[in-house]
Amino acid sequence: MSGIYQVSWSDRVCKGCACIFLLTFCVKLDAQQAAPWPEGAAPASAVAQQATGGVAEQGETTFTWRDHPTLDIGDHLQLDFRARIQADVRRSGFVTADDDLDGVDIARRRVGVAGTIDRVATFEVERELDGNNPWRDVYLNYQQFPVQVQGGRFKLPLSLDENTSATNLDFIYRSRAATQLAPGRDVGVMAHGRHGLVRYDFGIFRGDGDNSRANTTTHVTGMTTRAGRVVIDPFRRSKSAWRDLQVGVAFTTSTVPEGFGDIRGRSALGESFFTPTILVNGARRRIALEQRWRPGPFSVKAEYIRLTNERLGQGMDNGDLPPLESAGWYVSGTWILTGEQKSRGADNPKRPLFQGGYGAIEVGGRIEKLSFWSDGIGQISTSPRAEVILRQSDRAATFGVNWFPNRWTKLQFNLVQEQLLIPSRDMAAQTLQFWSRVLRVQFAL
Amino acid sequence: MNSHGEDTATEKTEMRDALRALRVRRSVVHIFVAILLGLLPQAAVAQTPDDLFDPTTLHDIRIRLNARDLQSLHDRYLENAFYPGEFEWRGASVGNVAVRSRGTGSRNGIKLGLEVEFDRFIGGQRFLGLRGIVLDNLWQDPALLRESVTMALFARLGQPAPRESYARLFINDEYQGLYAIVETIDDQFLSRSFGDPAGYVLEYHWLSEFYGSYPGSRLSAYTPMFEPRTHELESPTTVYSPIERLFYEANRNTDSTWREGVDRYLDVQQFLMHVAIEEFVSELDGITGYAGMNNFYLYRPADNTRQQLIPWDRDNAFQDVQSSVFLRIDDNEILRRLLGYPDLRELYLQMLEACAAAAAGDRWLEREVAWRAALITPAAHADTNKWYSNDDVDRGIALLQSFARDRPAIVLNQIREAR
Repeated sequence: MSGIYQVSWSDRVCKGCACIFLLTFCVKLDAQQAAPWPEGAAPASAVAQQATGGVAEQGETTFTWRDHPTLDIGDHLQLDFRARIQADVRRSGFVTADDDLDGVDIARRRVGVAGTIDRVATFEVERELDGNNPWRDVYLNYQQFPVQVQGGRFKLPLSLDENTSATNLDFIYRSRAATQLAPGRDVGVMAHGRHGLVRYDFGIFRGDGDNSRANTTTHVTGMTTRAGRVVIDPFRRSKSAWRDLQVGVAFTTSTVPEGFGDIRGRSALGESFFTPTILVNGARRRIALEQRWRPGPFSVKAEYIRLTNERLGQGMDNGDLPPLESAGWYVSGTWILTGEQKSRGADNPKRPLFQGGYGAIEVGGRIEKLSFWSDGIGQISTSPRAEVILRQSDRAATFGVNWFPNRWTKLQFNLVQEQLLIPSRDMAAQTLQFWSRVLRVQFAL
Repeated sequence: MNSHGEDTATEKTEMRDALRALRVRRSVVHIFVAILLGLLPQAAVAQTPDDLFDPTTLHDIRIRLNARDLQSLHDRYLENAFYPGEFEWRGASVGNVAVRSRGTGSRNGIKLGLEVEFDRFIGGQRFLGLRGIVLDNLWQDPALLRESVTMALFARLGQPAPRESYARLFINDEYQGLYAIVETIDDQFLSRSFGDPAGYVLEYHWLSEFYGSYPGSRLSAYTPMFEPRTHELESPTTVYSPIERLFYEANRNTDSTWREGVDRYLDVQQFLMHVAIEEFVSELDGITGYAGMNNFYLYRPADNTRQQLIPWDRDNAFQDVQSSVFLRIDDNEILRRLLGYPDLRELYLQMLEACAAAAAGDRWLEREVAWRAALITPAAHADTNKWYSNDDVDRGIALLQSFARDRPAIVLNQIREAR
């Protein structure tokens, strides 16, 4: 597991101290912002001074700090500086030789800058502070016309969960379907916009995204990929609780050259249960359905993603084999116990810690399943040219509690119960059931 | 009378008709049975591993691979990647077997050395009850006989050794050459040879010249040298501690308890017999190999720590008919000290005498070479993928025959001189 390492207790203590320091630092900032006026009673001049650290005048370079440190260079350029650190403590009940599954993991150390140029274009540059592939979003979005055009490296428009920022996830880990089947980021160009109740994204990308891409030369991935997504907010203009409901459909198509496919199955904590040792060749297609509804402090989300990869000419006699099929779905629900509106984000608590409250508390649950198989007539085997691939799946239930002490800090605890269906030595299906628990501390500017 | 005569004639006619009908029915039944027998696959005739490893028969083995996989096997013969295939012998076939390139010095892209695993892609799948076999390409042996004759001598002297037979190998209906079918060393081998399927067996991998010195107390020093073929998932402490102890005891400086300590972790008698056979057949690359110890498996019973050797890969036997029976003995730390004990030295000489007797008795070794040569020579000559020419094959067989004839007397002479 890259990026994961075992640490001694002294290291853990140091990291704990660092987290507490950061927590205290942002709590202090939060407190400074709030005091000494009651909510909504501060004079405008005081707010401006507090936010900018000085008096802002038109055309000048100013530095402000609201949600993020922001630099305004005249009227032409605005830069929002962002940083995020996430540390996980995790314990898996999965019996494996990989000791790295347990322990402390610095999941993300990411910095970035987002901004606006002359009010006609926005951009974002974000990278990890370490790792082999550190660049995340690097794109420019031209928004002068109703149809906006975005180019660079960013996430392909498939899967609601995958396209939710890691800072704002309801659970510590994305759903299995989003993590393993959604494409993730790639370099491309995309047209997007809104027309009435309909939002749309259509793009063309250099590859099939980096989610599934194996770091080996022996595996193959999708080449030029076309992707599209249409989302409808049918009650957008209504005042009812249904106003926030959205449903969408998305697709990708690409061609995968002959070789070992790169789609794999991993459990929530990264245990591999389906390895890419199947030869594929031909079209790779994804189709996804999504739904989200956030009435008041509640939210309900659901997605279904199906990925089909052809295996043309991969039979022993060069005949075609039935395609390799993968499918995943999840249904999740959350409830902010402290009453914040979910659509506005629980990460902005009404009553932060040390300011008359204890922040925002949210509970949630998710059930999901991820499966791989190939239907055909013949012997079930694990051969790269197997006609019939026994269905292998991960069924998981996640229970989570999120605590947002203030705007910048988030503590999450997830309890995950998983049930792996994998082939036994004699090719019968066997079930492995285990629990995992993860605690995440996140600090985000 | 007439009526009686007519009746008799009628009866005869009816009887003839009945007999004819019976014959027709029998013929139909015979034809039906014959068709049935013809249709029945030969697999229906019970075959056993003994039939597959019957050395008196030249077998035909057919493997079917995807054409691109076969090309990849040739191109990437240094990799251990498994390719799916279909395996057929005597009409019995099994699908989804795993085929990979194998070998160290014999590994090449022209005449592939192959390992066939029946249960890699379908857990629990067996062929004649076997989990897998090795198809030895006989690349380094011009006579193509050295290994099978040596293994036969090990077996004749009551030592555990893999069974071997010869086969013409066809891949996608194309003749690949003459191969040896070699029994793999696994739990089934342990069951057959020792009655101990639960025993531990580890394959020795040559990494550098190793003469039995102490690699150290860290078990990680032993894991690359010894690969477990059973108990693969067991803790390294259980698997490797007795090996570490063996080399620790063998390299202790104390004389008083040295033998006792080594005897606890090594079946000394079996070890000396193994070495005696190797020295008798003038093995170049065995325990007293030219580059240190090589080509053996280590077996340990499930219920004690005394380890035994199992021979592997004897393509380099029969090197020099005049070779000393003490060749490179002193290079090996364990052997040097073992043969320092007069009783063990005498035991070693007696074992060599047993080798000579087994080889010379009824001219057994000569006859082994002769009938095996007769069995394989046409297929060996037709093998255009082999490294050596047909003249080399004939010369190699002739050299083996003279070795088989002369070696017992030479060894007995050396034993006399040693005493």
